[in-house]
Amino acid sequence: MIRSVMVMNTQGKPRLAKFYDFQTVEKQQELIRSVFGVLCSRAENVSNFLDATSIFGPDSSLVYKHYATLYFVLVFDSSENELAMLDLIQVFVETLDKCFKNVCELDIVFNYSKIHTILDEMIFGGQVLETSSTELVKAVEEISRLESASNSITLVPKSVSGWWNR
Amino acid sequence: MALSGMRGLSVFISDIRNCQNKEQERLRVDKELGNVRTRFKNEKGLSPYEKKKYVWKMLYIYMLGYDVDFGHMEAVSLISAPKYPEKQVGYIVTACLLNENHDFLRLAINTVRNDIIGRNETFQCLALTMVGNIGGRDFAESLAPDVQKLLISSSARPLVRKKAALCLLRLYRKNPDVVNVDGWADRMAQLLDERDLGVLTSSMSLLVALVSNNHEAYWSCLPKCVKTLERLARNQDVPQEYTYYGIPSPWLQVKTMRALQYFPTIEDPNTRRSLFEVLQRILMGTDVVKNVNKNNASHAVLFEALALVMHLDAEKEMMSQCVALLGKFIAVREPNIRYLGLENMTRMLLVTDVQDVIKRHQAQIITSLKDPDISIRRRALDLLYGMCDVTNAKDIVEEILQYLSTAEFAMREELSLKAAILAEKFAPDLSWYVDVILQLIDKAGDFVSDDIWFRVVQFVTNNEDLQPYAAAKAREYLDKPAIHETMVKVSAYLIGEFGHLLARRPGCSPKELFSIIHEKLPTVSSSTIPILLSTYAKILMHAQPPEPELQNLIWAIFNKYESCIDAEIQQRAVEYFALSRKGAALMDILAEMPKFPERQSSLIKKAEDIEVDTAEQSAIKLRALQQTSNALVVTDQRPANGTPPVTQLSLVKVPSMSSNVDHHVAEQGLSQENGTLSTVDPQPSSADLLGDLLGPLAIEGPPNADVQPQQNIVSGVEGVPNTVEATAIVPVGVQTTSVQPIGSIAERFQALCVKDSGVLYEDPYIQIGIKAEWRAHQGRLVLFLGNKNTNPLLSVQAIILPPSHLKLELSLVPETIPPRAQVQCPLEIVNLRPSRDVAVLDFSYKFGNDMVNCKLRLPAVLSKFLQPIPVSAEEFFPQWRSLSGPPLKLQEVVRGVKPMPLLDMANLFNSLRLMVSPGLDPNPNNLVASTTFYSESTRAMLCLARIETDPADRTQLRLTVASGDPTLTFEYDFKIFLSHAANLSFIPSADFSDC
Repeated sequence: MIRSVMVMNTQGKPRLAKFYDFQTVEKQQELIRSVFGVLCSRAENVSNFLDATSIFGPDSSLVYKHYATLYFVLVFDSSENELAMLDLIQVFVETLDKCFKNVCELDIVFNYSKIHTILDEMIFGGQVLETSSTELVKAVEEISRLESASNSITLVPKSVSGWWNR
Repeated sequence: MALSGMRGLSVFISDIRNCQNKEQERLRVDKELGNVRTRFKNEKGLSPYEKKKYVWKMLYIYMLGYDVDFGHMEAVSLISAPKYPEKQVGYIVTACLLNENHDFLRLAINTVRNDIIGRNETFQCLALTMVGNIGGRDFAESLAPDVQKLLISSSARPLVRKKAALCLLRLYRKNPDVVNVDGWADRMAQLLDERDLGVLTSSMSLLVALVSNNHEAYWSCLPKCVKTLERLARNQDVPQEYTYYGIPSPWLQVKTMRALQYFPTIEDPNTRRSLFEVLQRILMGTDVVKNVNKNNASHAVLFEALALVMHLDAEKEMMSQCVALLGKFIAVREPNIRYLGLENMTRMLLVTDVQDVIKRHQAQIITSLKDPDISIRRRALDLLYGMCDVTNAKDIVEEILQYLSTAEFAMREELSLKAAILAEKFAPDLSWYVDVILQLIDKAGDFVSDDIWFRVVQFVTNNEDLQPYAAAKAREYLDKPAIHETMVKVSAYLIGEFGHLLARRPGCSPKELFSIIHEKLPTVSSSTIPILLSTYAKILMHAQPPEPELQNLIWAIFNKYESCIDAEIQQRAVEYFALSRKGAALMDILAEMPKFPERQSSLIKKAEDIEVDTAEQSAIKLRALQQTSNALVVTDQRPANGTPPVTQLSLVKVPSMSSNVDHHVAEQGLSQENGTLSTVDPQPSSADLLGDLLGPLAIEGPPNADVQPQQNIVSGVEGVPNTVEATAIVPVGVQTTSVQPIGSIAERFQALCVKDSGVLYEDPYIQIGIKAEWRAHQGRLVLFLGNKNTNPLLSVQAIILPPSHLKLELSLVPETIPPRAQVQCPLEIVNLRPSRDVAVLDFSYKFGNDMVNCKLRLPAVLSKFLQPIPVSAEEFFPQWRSLSGPPLKLQEVVRGVKPMPLLDMANLFNSLRLMVSPGLDPNPNNLVASTTFYSESTRAMLCLARIETDPADRTQLRLTVASGDPTLTFEYDFKIFLSHAANLSFIPSADFSDC
């Protein structure tokens, strides 16, 4: 199972953080910081694996990939194949690249909500959902289409929160 | 207005980006949170678009690390929005912000269910995604059947079904008791016939979850997995979009092979043959290519295939092929492949028969220990550790030692621990072991825990052949200019114990040994000084004939530390100083330490705890079983002896005090190889580690030459009714706990009745020591509460239950005793009147879940308020006669005592603060004794006693006691002496050393 997906820049600022086991906000920050602490001291041309047990506890592995100003990190347990996880990062980045045409950090910063949507189409509850970037792009485009379609309807809906006020 | 089109959110994000520092960012975030809060409060004017924007902002703020404690309801409420964009935000943000037990989720269940069973596919997807990401119990209970239906529905699109599969997986993983998968085997088999690779990938993940729990039910899926694998490996019917860098869906291949690893074996020969064909193809057909991504993908498949081959326990030929491949991998340029090569080789150790093949790659693995990548170095270390055995231990350990000098900080501790363990487990000879550990201390002293050097001391003490060698080595290291403090400790200890074995060598005269060690003293901390003092005392003892010059030097040092603020150092200095003036008697007291009871190395245990990689751990365990255990690895031969589990685990504690005591009680008088020293008073301060190690060296007070014979007297009075036991006012003992005291509480009490310091109580967690001073009718008793553990003792309570004749005032006892700390609690005692009742200390504390309570008698007994007084015959007899008969004079005949010489009996009286006046009684078979009793009511009161023995029958005595106060006469019953004596006979003689 994949435990967490993190995207952070080379200064350690989180750009995306998703935890498939609930973590409190403090714990999330602590984990992000610890991961960054290890990542930033890594040289180039070394392996993409890191010892994660000191940060995430037993039975955890971490792979990361460094693209320009960003680190993409996946944390997972022993039921996943390390290299397959590394491939998944590649699929994620390729999908972003297709969605944004030469993706850069700013795209990710300002399209925060879209990144979440793409991620949800790729990883589902800690499991790999889709591995084809073509399929991913298709799914995301469909969602965008749906959004714009419903936004073009000008009918102003009533407040939807009345349902829980019973 | 697609996904990204929220202007407000973009503005906010840019503002955050423009913040110069964290403080500005916080201000901006607070402002925004305030804004969002106000807008949510006044919900009426809020459009769904605005709501959506604010909820995204909240999620963004949450990611930045700020707690968002409001707005959850708004996020959840968006789920029931009719339009897609709001609903989508509601689902995504809810999944991120709320944990599975959040109450709001329950409110949303109906909406979620409606979306799942509804006709709108996009809504179904959203709902499934949230449920799958959260996976709570409530969801599982109310939604699992709907999700199952959706998964097998023929009308649902692949997009929905693949999500349904993973959603079911998550619900099942989190709540296997709630999600009913009975009879799912057939459905699962059908799902594996799926042509759509997206759905098939999800279904395969689901299968992995199901078979990992119960493979029996899913045998029918096995051939389908092999078929799927064949289809992919042969690239049949794999659409372009699922081909990743030319490889047909590596993820599905990997998952399928993972699923196959959950079946214990493959029985059907056809299926097995087909599978091995595929595996063979994967093993042979994978090459390292230029494109990194392609490389990664193909090797992901390859490594999974390797794992499956190992699991299926293929023929040796195929295994050797695998090892050969791995051997190739660990030498390639691509670091990921090197890393995984090493990792998989470590797993390979599990497979029997391939270890020899792996050993051929030892040189390459050692090279990897110098890889620039720490991740790879770690794997190499794990592999070397796992593959080490008697044949290659020397090479491997020496490599590790060499690497230690250059290794980064983060790895040194692990390296030193592993080197120490391997050296211990696989040492071809003991001198090599000593070499390794000393080198280890020399190179990485900071990372060598006490356990490690204790272990060396233990081995050296238990192996006589090793002693001169170890002492010589220690001497060599002492010549080095700057040595680590641990090295000072271990060398000082070894030189102290065994330095005399080097006597004829140059630079090893007592004087020279002393000065080289003493050079280090200014540089060491106060925890080392006591060890050095012990060493000095030992050197002094071994310097025969005595060298006055050396004596003066060492005495001056003892003198200097007699006023040291550190109680441990001070006590040692005082004691050694006094002892070292005993001349020849010193030889016995400071003789070599006895051999230690052999036990399993806690170092190895500790290492096993540290291991986290399960595969690696089992590999090591397995090998540990296979390997015939080396002489060094010894097991605890007395496991049921109440030796505290905590101490055993937490430290080697080689010459541990508790084990000495324990030892003694269990095997009294037995197996003390060095009878001269045997057990010495456990000191209150021995609760600390150092005390534990060196405790037996320090002896309280000067040994009394008169003490020895006492043992004999004492054993002569066995069988006399134990009145002290009867006088206890409350049942005494440890209650309501599983924690067992170390040693007998009763015996400890008896011993303390005749001396003023010692241990009152000890268990695995705490040691309570006592030191007392008595002056007339007053006493001052200090309780030393020593926490023996690395965790604090909590809820500490000490209540004194005073008998009516004593006034007791206990100072404040702290509620918590910090780890390894000792707390002193003075107790003031005033004796009001004579009584044989005993004060009781009701002591309780909590350690972890153990609540320990014990009631301990305090040795503030009547005899403590006595002061011996000499009387002449002229004074004695008039008094004796004037106190005529009861109630002032009581007489009793005691029968059935064991015979003891009169002289011994006299000594016993002396130790009970009665002054025996020899020759006073005209009959040489009688003894008379006198003492003064002090209490607030009686002041000083003369008390006389007479014991008449029958030379014809030494098994009976007549005892008479007389005083001017009838209460005193009554309470100061002679049976108390005798019961003391009877009980004292159970106590090892050394406990008398300071009577």
